[in-house]
Amino acid sequence: MNNRTVRFLLNPFERIAGFQALSWGFLGLVLSIGLAYFTDYHYHGLLHYGSAPNPVWWCFMAEHFIVWLIPALLFYIGGMLLSRSKIRALDVFGTVLFAQIPLLFTNLIVFLPFYKQMSAIDPTGPLQEQIAQASELMLQPGFWLGLWLSLVAFVFVIWMGYLMFKALAVSCNLKGTKLAILFCIGFFGGDFICRIIINLLYS
Amino acid sequence: MEEIKKKLPLHCPACESPLRVARLFCKSCETEVSGSFELPLFSRLTEKDQTFIIEFIKSSGSLKDMAKDMGISYPTVRNLLDDLIEKIKFLEKGGQNE
Repeated sequence: MNNRTVRFLLNPFERIAGFQALSWGFLGLVLSIGLAYFTDYHYHGLLHYGSAPNPVWWCFMAEHFIVWLIPALLFYIGGMLLSRSKIRALDVFGTVLFAQIPLLFTNLIVFLPFYKQMSAIDPTGPLQEQIAQASELMLQPGFWLGLWLSLVAFVFVIWMGYLMFKALAVSCNLKGTKLAILFCIGFFGGDFICRIIINLLYS
Repeated sequence: MEEIKKKLPLHCPACESPLRVARLFCKSCETEVSGSFELPLFSRLTEKDQTFIIEFIKSSGSLKDMAKDMGISYPTVRNLLDDLIEKIKFLEKGGQNE
C-alpha cells in the first residue's frame, strides 16, 4: 500500500465530501441494512450492537438511520456554533455517513456461525443458563477464530470513530479543543441518544 | 548558464527575526535606493499560500473549480481559504508569519 492510499484510508475527506461522500455512504448504508437484516444484527447505538426483540426490516433501517443522523446532527449544530467557517449540511451529513462505511465489515464478520450462537445467548435470562450457553460456545471449534475476529471487528469500530473525527474536522473546519469537545459530544453523546431512541423501537 | 531561481528569505538566518528591505537596485540604470522598507503582505506569506492565492484568482474565486483542479474536496479548499484569511488578518495586525 503506498502513502497516498494510506492517507486516503485515514482521511478520505481531503478528497471526498459533499454529494460524492453522501452517495458512497448511502450505498454502504443500504448494504449494511441488508447484511444486518440477514444476520439479525441490530445497532443499539453507534457503539453498541447485538440481538434485539424486533426482527422486522424497518427496525434495521430505522436503527441505521438513527445511528447516522443523530451524531451528524450534533456535529452540524456544534459546527454552526463553534466554527468560523460557513459549513454545509451536505458535507457534514455526507462525510459522517461515509465515515460509517467500516461498520459494513463488522456486519460481514457477524455472518460467522460463532456470532449467531453468541447472539443467541439471552443477557436477560437466568445466569446459570447464560453460563451453560457460554461454556458450550467455548467448546465450539471456531471459538478462538471467532474471538480473534471480534478484535478485527473492534479495529473497524475504531477506524469508524477515527473517520468520524476526521469528518468533523474537515466538514466543520475545527481544530484543537473545540474539535475534541464537539467530537466527544457528537460521538459518545450521540451514542447515548441513539440508544435511548433505538430502545423505543423495541418497546 | 541558467540563472538560479532564488527564494526570497523572510527570516533572518541567524536570529529568525523577520527581515526588512534595506536596499533596492535598478538593473538598467544601476540606481540604488536604501532605507528600511517592510515587505508587502503577499511576500510575507509562505510559497504554498501564495500559490493558493494565485490559483484562487485564476479560478475566478470559485472554490468548486479550485477543488476540481486541485483534486481535493470542497470543504478542504474552503478550510485552506479560511485558514489563510486568519493568517492575513494576523499579519495585518502586526504578527509574524511562521
